[in-house]
Amino acid sequence: MVGLLAQVLVSGLAIGAIYALIATGFSLLWQGSQTVNFAQGDFVVVPAFVMLGVRGLGLPLWVGVLAALVVSALVLGLLFKRVLVDPMLKHGSLQLAIATMALSIVIQNGLLDVAGGEAFPFPGINGGIDWGQIFLDWQSLIVLAVAVAAVTALNLFLGRTRTGRAIQASAQNPQVAVLLGIDVARMILITFLINAALVTLAALLISPIYLVKFNNGIGIGLSAFSAAIVGGFNQVRGAVVGGLVLGVTETFAATFGPDQWRDAVPMLLLILFVLFRPEGILGRREERRV
Amino acid sequence: MTPVLEARDLHRHFGGVRAVNGVSFQVGEGEILGVIGPNGSGKSTLFNCLLGQLVPSAGTVLLDGQDVTGMAPAVLNRRGVSRTFQLLQVFPQLSARENLILAGQEHVGSRLARLFGRPDAGLTAAANRMLELFQLTHIADLAAGGLSYGQQKLLDAAMAFMAGPRLVLLDEPAGGVNLTLLGSFRERLRAMNTEAGATFVVIEHNMDFVMSLCTRVICIAEGKVIADGAPEAVRNNADVIEAYLGH
Repeated sequence: MVGLLAQVLVSGLAIGAIYALIATGFSLLWQGSQTVNFAQGDFVVVPAFVMLGVRGLGLPLWVGVLAALVVSALVLGLLFKRVLVDPMLKHGSLQLAIATMALSIVIQNGLLDVAGGEAFPFPGINGGIDWGQIFLDWQSLIVLAVAVAAVTALNLFLGRTRTGRAIQASAQNPQVAVLLGIDVARMILITFLINAALVTLAALLISPIYLVKFNNGIGIGLSAFSAAIVGGFNQVRGAVVGGLVLGVTETFAATFGPDQWRDAVPMLLLILFVLFRPEGILGRREERRV
Repeated sequence: MTPVLEARDLHRHFGGVRAVNGVSFQVGEGEILGVIGPNGSGKSTLFNCLLGQLVPSAGTVLLDGQDVTGMAPAVLNRRGVSRTFQLLQVFPQLSARENLILAGQEHVGSRLARLFGRPDAGLTAAANRMLELFQLTHIADLAAGGLSYGQQKLLDAAMAFMAGPRLVLLDEPAGGVNLTLLGSFRERLRAMNTEAGATFVVIEHNMDFVMSLCTRVICIAEGKVIADGAPEAVRNNADVIEAYLGH
């Protein structure tokens, strides 16, 4: 029993760490530009298909990762901001959120059209550490380590560098940031590029577990969105905590309850937090002027 | 000598409303100019025109003799113009020290240095000096959003001096600051005027604060300058008294 609990805990933390990466991107986009990106889950699927496509050409995985990073930066970062976010944001955050829902449908149907409806296997890591009763698989341990390292690096970048401080200032008070000479538009673009890098990394880590399928983004996006709400939508640290809480809860529910519970848990947590603690675990209450 | 700031026949209209209606004045090097006037007289609109936040309908703004009319606030900031705000505008999740470093960091180093240079842009010592000068050292590492109103007001003022500005526009600096803090705040501003050689333009409703801080005062009513001179002379000017008391 102890072995099973440890294994489920590590698996849950690994999944949670991936949710944390995606939710962190979610939170960054919201803080930086009031963008609620309902296509965030599909953003994870796009680079996964790029990596598989490059591998299909007989090239090594690292080339696929580089190609996915470039495609993500250009399409999911730059193009997404310039073509969808900038024009729609002028009409309001709600209109933009609806536009990202439409984008989600476009991406899913585009991928279905190009790649078909089957789930494609993605290269992972086999084996693990065997301590008698306890077996911990390498895949989960490495996913956990990489995701934690990425989130830590991002936090250090935001908190300990000049550009990171300028990004924070642009998110907290863009009008004054402009007056201090900060190039707020550039800082917002950087947050979009960071999000593109985060979803690419998430794609690399989650695809060996969930395989690669055109509509995987629905579940992934919903879990990441719930993680951001549970942790606190206006805090990067909140997104990390929310991701871990969600990943562990979801994995325990799926292991010890019916499999369908895996999908129900994020929604249940989302509803509970919206009702009883809308600012999330680490979030702050925000006043909005109308 | 060329004035640091000059407004020449400045106008700003909103439809039929002439908020600023032909305002002209000069501010000399090291001067502390007070701008007073009843509510709705056009002071804030004038300030926004001077700072590039509003483009004047007509007229010219000169900084060190150069035309800067309608120039973007960020560009003016890089040219040595900084401001404080009537309503608190600190960055709430950053510490007081980080707020100060942020206020100066865009003025030092190249683009490359912004990415790979020292995280504090070499400004920690300057920020610490400013914290000391404004008596904020004890709250240096606290998040600015958690500070008292008076402390945030002091921090806002200190931020305006981090870039070593030539000209500082203070928008109601005494508003909401308690009497105990007010005296010390005035002394801090005087010290910055003397030590840093900065020139000030101050919009303020607190008449005692203006009269004791400023070297010259102009009074604006209905978008026009109705008095310009020494503080006491403006205070006793019949037109000023009438503008404040009404007909």
